[in-house]
Parts: sequence; structure tokens; C-alpha cells
Amino acid sequence: MTDSNTTISENTNDFVVQPLHGQERFVAPIDETPVQEVDSVDESKVASSMWADAWRSMRKNPLFIVSGILILIILIVAIFPGIFTKVDPNYCNLPQSLDGPSSGHPLGFNQQGCDVYSRVVYGARTSVSVGILTTVIVTLFGGIVGALAGFYGGWLDAVLSRITDIFFAIPMLLGAIVVLQMFKTSTSIWKVVLVLALFGWVTTARIIRGSVLEAKNLEFNTASTALGSSPLRNLFRHVVPNALAPVIVLTTTSLGSYIVAEATLSFLGVGLPTTVVSWGGDISDAQSLLRIDPQVLFYPSLALAITVLAFIMMGDAVKDALDPKSRV
Amino acid sequence: MGKYLLRRILQMIPVILGTTLLIYALVFALPGDPVRAMFGARPVNEAVAAQIRSEYNLDKPFIIQYLLFLKNALSLNFGMTFSGQPVISVIGRAFPVTIRLALMAFVFEGIFGVIFGVISGLKKGKWYDSVILIVSLLLISVPTFVTGFVLQYFIGVKWRILPVTAGGSPGFLDLLMPAMVLGSVSMAYIIRLARTEVSSNISEDYVRTARAKGMSNRSVIMRHILRNSLIPVVTYLGTDIGALMGGAMITERIFNIQGVGNTLYQAILRGEGPLVVSIVTILVLVFVVCNLVVDMLYAVLDPRIRYA
Repeated sequence: MTDSNTTISENTNDFVVQPLHGQERFVAPIDETPVQEVDSVDESKVASSMWADAWRSMRKNPLFIVSGILILIILIVAIFPGIFTKVDPNYCNLPQSLDGPSSGHPLGFNQQGCDVYSRVVYGARTSVSVGILTTVIVTLFGGIVGALAGFYGGWLDAVLSRITDIFFAIPMLLGAIVVLQMFKTSTSIWKVVLVLALFGWVTTARIIRGSVLEAKNLEFNTASTALGSSPLRNLFRHVVPNALAPVIVLTTTSLGSYIVAEATLSFLGVGLPTTVVSWGGDISDAQSLLRIDPQVLFYPSLALAITVLAFIMMGDAVKDALDPKSRV
Repeated sequence: MGKYLLRRILQMIPVILGTTLLIYALVFALPGDPVRAMFGARPVNEAVAAQIRSEYNLDKPFIIQYLLFLKNALSLNFGMTFSGQPVISVIGRAFPVTIRLALMAFVFEGIFGVIFGVISGLKKGKWYDSVILIVSLLLISVPTFVTGFVLQYFIGVKWRILPVTAGGSPGFLDLLMPAMVLGSVSMAYIIRLARTEVSSNISEDYVRTARAKGMSNRSVIMRHILRNSLIPVVTYLGTDIGALMGGAMITERIFNIQGVGNTLYQAILRGEGPLVVSIVTILVLVFVVCNLVVDMLYAVLDPRIRYA
């Protein structure tokens, strides 16, 4: 044993391995593959990006499956309410006021004698469209402001950040009430959406500014500049995609909060016009009936809660998927 | 630190000016003539109307009105409400009530939010973790006014545990239920925040080191996990004081509390510019100052952050 050890150490010094007596040597066949084929990037396949990874881990998350199914159902109800009920939500018959459930009217009637089930079904469209439209506008506008401020810095950042601070200091609900009071006589879904967006873009702008600032100084950005790409191309090709994750999380979660905000505005009497079937309006109408007929209040509240819950759960699932650190 | 503080205070000035200007412009643009509305159904006496207009500076152009408002506000003279009371005395009556309400909500959400959040973060996956998580999700997804009605109905009307509404000069018990309702959504957010923080810090290297040193479980949790997990919670709580005072609008309406929210809501409905702008200015001040305090606290709590 001691003998063979010394032999090896001597031999390694010479970089020639002498076959020891009785020891087999295995020599791999000479690899004829050119280096290019091993090392080159397989361009025919899509690279495993952060998004692909996130999607793969999200698919298995029960939170995502449950909220995904719920959101799908809510969207179908919102787009095709006619499948779920044949009753006109605006057909109200006062003699039926607060009647209990009967055939064709599974949830009974509200104070005006309108069918509660039908109003819950048709209310989905209002809430979902307010939520989605507000989120889209907020994300686009806040995203652009935040990206420009974070990327260009300097005086543009200073100006945009002060404007952001001003809007940030005004509570959303309060600002929305004042503005909607101006349109009191003629509110519509679009006006509510625009007003919510007017006071909601700030958070998105702040978050995307922060993550753009962070992504701006990373090496790939410098590399891209060295390769001769313009700042604007850098911004949209490299910085924004890398700063997108926190915005997506915020977007999914805040969609629910815009739905709640719309309902709250309707509750305060400055939201949607009474002609629009909405959960917020129905809850507001039913508040005085809590002691007489609580179920008229219960069903629209339940529908609202399930919708908001579904979007918040979706936000959680997206967050888990996009933030590998939070995976357990 | 001193330099940073000074810079932040200077930065507050444009924010406050901008916010008041924005709100002033919005209120100015409100439709309807408040002076005409004061006459009600009676015929408008143009001479009296003109006199009232000049008294409230309503006959001057917008920007002059705003500058006059600013000039007076600096000497704490916020003018008169349309019903002839000094704005400052209306504010003086409304603010103590709302401050009490907001502080009670603050204590409620702070204590219960942290306790439930930490328990649930330490025991992730246990049945009570799931219960806490589901309840907090429900509190977030049900609008405050629904939570308010339901609590009011059960606790106030049906079981008669607490007073149904609060009335003129509310005491501790009168405000207990409104404070719980007001703080419920924030409490749910704190629970979620504390839970995420605790459960991610629990697997950090320094926690393992502390355990390896032979530190007791109690000290590990108190000194290492909690100290690090509660920094974001403190930040959230700090910014929430301002939000609570603004959010009191809904709660105060449900429980009929004569606080800032109710006063403000009615002032908006009546188009009472001076009152609306005065209240909003104070709310914004509270909010901005709270944010500053939070940033300062951040540096104290987290030694890694130092402001130059």
C-alpha cells in the first residue's frame, strides 16, 4: 500500500500515469463532438425564464387552482349573465317586496320587489368591469410614470415624485368622494373607474419606480448600453420586464380593493347611478333592512366577498410563484 | 440624521401646498352655488348674496381665494362655516372624537394583529394558522360597511353587549365596537404581514446560529425572530394612523359618531369649501408627519439603515 502511494505521487509529478502492475485502465473513447455543439445555445427551445418557472410552480399551488376556478366562474357570470338567470334584474314588482324564495326566484325579492338572485348575477358585470378597468388604467399610467421617474432620474424624477407624493397624501376614498360629487348628476361606470384610477395610480408608480431604480444598475443593463442600444430600448427591453414582478403582485391584489372601493362609494351615495345593477348599490339599499330581512343584505355581500377573496388569493398565489424566497 | 430630517421637512412643504391646492381646486369645481343653497326655497336676495360672497371671498378668482385661504390658515384662521361657526371650533369639536377612535382602532389592530400574525407565522400549517388566515382574508374581502352593519346588528341590537350608536360625546364603551370595525381591515393586513415575515425569518441563518448556541426557544423568538419581523409591521402601523383618520368616514357614518369623517362628508355634500379644505389639510399633515416619524423609526429599529 505505501509502495503504490509513493508511485502515484511520483507519477503525477510527471503528469504521466504509469499503469501499475495488475491495475486496469479505462480510457474513454475519443470524443469527436465539436465543442460548438456542446456549448452552443439551443436556440430552437424556449429558455426557462423566471416566468416559466413561476408558472410551473404556480400551477401546483392549491391557492391558484381554487382562485383560478373562482375567477373563471365570476368572469363567465360577468360576461354571460343570461345563462344563469332569465329574470330581468330591473323588473321590480312592489307587491312582491321582501317575499321569500319561490320557484324561479331562489333568493327571494328585495324591498323594491326585484329578484335578488338575478340582481346578484347581473351585479357581477359591474363590479368586475370596475375592478379590471381601474386596474388596467392604474397599471398603465402608474407604470409609465414610475418607469420614467426611476429610469431617467434627475429633474424628471424630482417633479414626478413630488406629484406622486401629493396624490399619495390624499386618501383615495376622500378624493374620490370630492371628485364624484362634481359629477353627481351624471355618474357612470367610466367616471367611477377614472376617479378611482386618479387616486390609485400612486402606489403602482412608487413600486415600479423603486424596482426600476434597482434594475437600472444591474450588469445586463450596462452590457446592453455597451452593445449600443438606446436608453429607451434598454428601459422597455431590459429594465421594465425585470421590474414587473412586484407590479403584477400589486395588480392582482388591488383589483379586489378597487371592487370594494366602488361598493363603498355606492354605499356613500356618490358611486354608480341607481340604474346600474351593482352589488355595492344593492348592499347600500339593503342596509336599513338588516333588522327586518338580513338575507337581502347577505347575498350581494357574499357575492362581493367571494369575488374580492378570489382576486386576493390569486394575488397571494402569484406572489408565492414570483418570489422564490417565500416558497417553503 | 439632522440634515436628512431637515431635507424631509422641507420636502413636506410642496406636498402640503400641492395637496391643498388640488383639494381646493376640486372643491372649487363642485357644481351648484353654495350661497344660493343657503337661501333654501326662499327667493334669493341678490344684495345679501353678494355680501355673503364677498365675506367668504367667493367673488374673487380661484387662485386669489386659495392664496387668501393659505394666508389665513398660517395664522390658524380657517374662516367661518356657511352656518356661521368658526371652522376652527368645528374642527376642535370633531377631531378629539376621531383621534380617540383612531387611537383605539390603532391599539386594537396593533395588539391583535401582531399576536395572531406571530402565532400563525410560528406555527405555519397548524389548524389555527389556517383559521387565522381564513378569518383575515374574510376581513379584507368583506367591505368595512358590511362588517360594521353585521357587528352592529349582532353585538348591538341582538345581544345588546355594546351600545348600537355612539352619539354626541362618546365614551370608551361607545367607541369600542366602531374602533374594532375601523381597525379590522388593517388588523387583517398586519396579521398577513407578520405571518409572512415571521415564517420567512424563522429559517434564516442567524436563527439557526442562535439555536446552535443553545439559546432557549423563547429568547430566539423574542430577540431574533420578532425583532426582525416587526420592523415592517411598525412601518405599516405608522402609515396607518393617517389612513385610519381618513377611513373613519365610513365607520362614523354607520355608528353616528360626530367626528372628522362625518363632518367632512357632510361638508363635501354641502360644497363647503373652507371646511373641506381645512379638514383635509389637517388630515394630510397628520399623514405626512406620520410617514416622517415612521422613516425615522425605521433607522432606529434597523441598524442597517442609516440616513446620511
